Amino acid sequence: MNRRRFLTWAAGGAVGATVAASVPRLKPFSKKDAPTASREEISTTCEMCVNKCSLIAVVENGVIHKLNPNPASPRSRGMLCARGNAGIQQVYDPSRLKRPLIRAGARGEGKWRPATWDEAWDFAAQKLSSVKEKYGPQGTLWSSTESFQEVFFKNLGSALGSPNIVRHPTLCLASVNLAYSVTFGTVPSFDLINSKYIIMSGANRLESLITPDTMDLIDSTLERKARLVYLDPRFTVTASKADEWYPIRPGTDLAFILALLNVIVSENRYHKEFVATYTTGFEKLAEHVKPYTPEWAERETEIPAKDIARIAREFSDAAPRAVYYAGRRSSWYRDDFQTRRAQAILNAIVGNWDRQGGMVPNAKIALGEYVFFPWDDPVAPRVDEMDKNFPLAAKGDGAYLKLRENVLAGTPYPVKAWMIHKQDPLNALPDQAKTIRMIEQMDFIAVIDVQMSDSAWYADVVFPESTYLERQDPVEVLSGISPVVVYRQPVIKPLHDTKPTLEIVQGLAKRLNLTQYFDYTIDQWVAEQVKELPLESPLEYLKKHGIYVPEGFPKYGSTLNAEHRFVTKSGKIELFSERLQEAGHEPLPAYHAPPQPPAGQFRLILGRKAYFTHANSTNNPWLNEFAPENNLWLHPSTADRLRVGNQDRVEVSSTVGTVRMKALVTEEIRPDCVFMLHGYGKRSRWQRLVADVGASDARLLETAWDKISGNAALHETFVKVRKA
Amino acid sequence: MAAHRKRYALIIDSRKCINCKSCVVACRAENRVPLGYSRNWIGEEHRGEWPKLLAAFEPEQCHHCESPACVRVCPTGASYQRPDGIVAINESDCVGCRYCMIACPYDARFFREDKGVVEKCNLCAQRLDRGELPACVETCPSKVRVFGDLNDPNGPLRELLSKRLYRTKKAEAGTGPQIYYLL
Repeated sequence: MNRRRFLTWAAGGAVGATVAASVPRLKPFSKKDAPTASREEISTTCEMCVNKCSLIAVVENGVIHKLNPNPASPRSRGMLCARGNAGIQQVYDPSRLKRPLIRAGARGEGKWRPATWDEAWDFAAQKLSSVKEKYGPQGTLWSSTESFQEVFFKNLGSALGSPNIVRHPTLCLASVNLAYSVTFGTVPSFDLINSKYIIMSGANRLESLITPDTMDLIDSTLERKARLVYLDPRFTVTASKADEWYPIRPGTDLAFILALLNVIVSENRYHKEFVATYTTGFEKLAEHVKPYTPEWAERETEIPAKDIARIAREFSDAAPRAVYYAGRRSSWYRDDFQTRRAQAILNAIVGNWDRQGGMVPNAKIALGEYVFFPWDDPVAPRVDEMDKNFPLAAKGDGAYLKLRENVLAGTPYPVKAWMIHKQDPLNALPDQAKTIRMIEQMDFIAVIDVQMSDSAWYADVVFPESTYLERQDPVEVLSGISPVVVYRQPVIKPLHDTKPTLEIVQGLAKRLNLTQYFDYTIDQWVAEQVKELPLESPLEYLKKHGIYVPEGFPKYGSTLNAEHRFVTKSGKIELFSERLQEAGHEPLPAYHAPPQPPAGQFRLILGRKAYFTHANSTNNPWLNEFAPENNLWLHPSTADRLRVGNQDRVEVSSTVGTVRMKALVTEEIRPDCVFMLHGYGKRSRWQRLVADVGASDARLLETAWDKISGNAALHETFVKVRKA
Repeated sequence: MAAHRKRYALIIDSRKCINCKSCVVACRAENRVPLGYSRNWIGEEHRGEWPKLLAAFEPEQCHHCESPACVRVCPTGASYQRPDGIVAINESDCVGCRYCMIACPYDARFFREDKGVVEKCNLCAQRLDRGELPACVETCPSKVRVFGDLNDPNGPLRELLSKRLYRTKKAEAGTGPQIYYLL
């Protein structure tokens, strides 16, 4: 009898003891499922990763039986991935957070005392107030990851007067966003479904799922015969489906792109009319890329010069239905911004901007806003000194690694309270030992989450959030080639003593005398958001369908008229960037050969499986079964040299940490690299499937960032490996 | 009333499979299959030497054979074939002898220790009754599986099979498997 079946019985009023008494191998009293008294289908939105796919929950007798894809969504295109299907387990996980907890032992010791909400709020508010009194509101740090209720959490930090709100982008795609913004004034989407030629590097799109890109990539390459050229030091699933796969020498992607530019410019293969009408700085670009010949790039990248030249020709021939895909949700090297910018420039000069099968600026849908009492701007500057360190970057998101350095150094001022919303800095940031030092110097740490993450494990108070299937959220617009409005509503009542973030925030706000900023309900908030939507009864519509899909998309070419002003300094697409020059950066991407691992060391590279999101889904039993433990991938030649056999235990060390794990000897990785999956070797005992199982990459990764965007550079760590 | 008798079958385009396991988890939820068992799975093949490598992924489940060996050997009649071709198990008639597991050429059946019966894919007959697709078919990001009625001259199966080359697995076992893998 499985758990969920038991719940079905219990909810249906069957006697639990009868169920428990059924003896294996003997015929149970009844093998039929419990009679279905009620069956409901509720449309809502997934939260197992950041894609926000539309789903239909099947609820039987108050128990979630199945999550089905909602075919109405042009984003998720009628699919629900393994994680989405396993969302049920997040709700019924016996070790999820069920009530507020206050730390009863040392930090990280795992001793907790259950608390009432009033106790937890009083405790946290008192601690926050005392930090505020002693160090000012800037002494509080608020960190969060993208989610529908993140706005309330951030607003509490702002209302309290803290400038220090740090979001996920600098652990993610800030370098990509900034590179495209500097070039085009906006970050476009890629119309992969209509592309005929796709070059992809720095993105394993068939294992790191993005909607609709993953499905579109399959559709275009395998159904519509688009050509996929893929660069990766590892033979991934994407590599296995690509028409051409090049195991590029890590960190040299920029050399490859510069050589493509060299061929396209020198052979006059760029789109002359587009370049003349919409761009600025082409002459400087043409001069700049002259030395970057395919022969030169071959020496850097290990990709044959003749292939580089051929790819450049094929790419420009296929334009505008050709894209160099911007890797998303990942930043790898210290020059990540410049690599992404070179891609943007390459895309621009073949004229694939705002064209079918090319890059398309994102369409948006306007929502209403709930107007609330405004707070004063913070008095103190940000602790990560964005203005000084990353003047071009998105200031409101902060720069996580620089922030950690400054907090540890106590400059420009002390930060002593850390509020964390659904983020796991211990696993998300490189150099876990350093993050623990940051934790140790905090007077107070609170975490809001649905599960006992490693970071929650080190908190002083843990606020349990209701899961995405138990709460109503603000409405969200997913901008894109086909923009949509998605809605999340509860499909069951909360199982435990949990609350949505807004209510958690309101409880704190009341005790911090900030009630005036949070004087509304989620219903009022949502009503204001949806009232301008061109629907007769927008909220009823969203409750029924879970998604609103406006007509008239995809739409191409709306920015293609000579009067269109791009949101850049010149109003044009900036191949050469004066803004970069003024900020002291290279105005055109120049190549600087990256350091390569010294003899006896390996570059640690990272990546994903389609069934895991970040570090937060490895403990889901329905997903964990596919990879119960992470291994260190080693090429057979490396393994031979180290005298390590498959599944032997190895010790892996960098300058910041050492871990032990099993080796996986495989042909599918470059001999100068090693690889491990993310999200294992957890500290939290409540992550029972992955606590001390395998190893955490965060313990090995060294602190490095892209100097323009501040984005963490995750492929800059060299490790030593030996048989344990 | 349908003008013909239905014959349900699957076409699988393995090239499009990205080994994401959506179908496996969807089946687990839909059919309440406890951990440790699975009605469907994805076979993997990795070949070659660096850098000439190849990886292939192939979804697997019951083939709902035309002449199912499992039905033939079942001593109680618990395993049976529906008129629409679905090979099903009547749990209350299953005595757990597991002859069917030995007879199945595809290893598609497993013994549920907790229930004392054999279990396998039933093409989500409960969903078909509601007019829905099998869970594995519906949830797939790359739509690897195509489900339909082989006897429907205008259905998706007949059209695909007339245009594409395909194979069946272990045809030599003589059970007439009804999953068609596109080449």
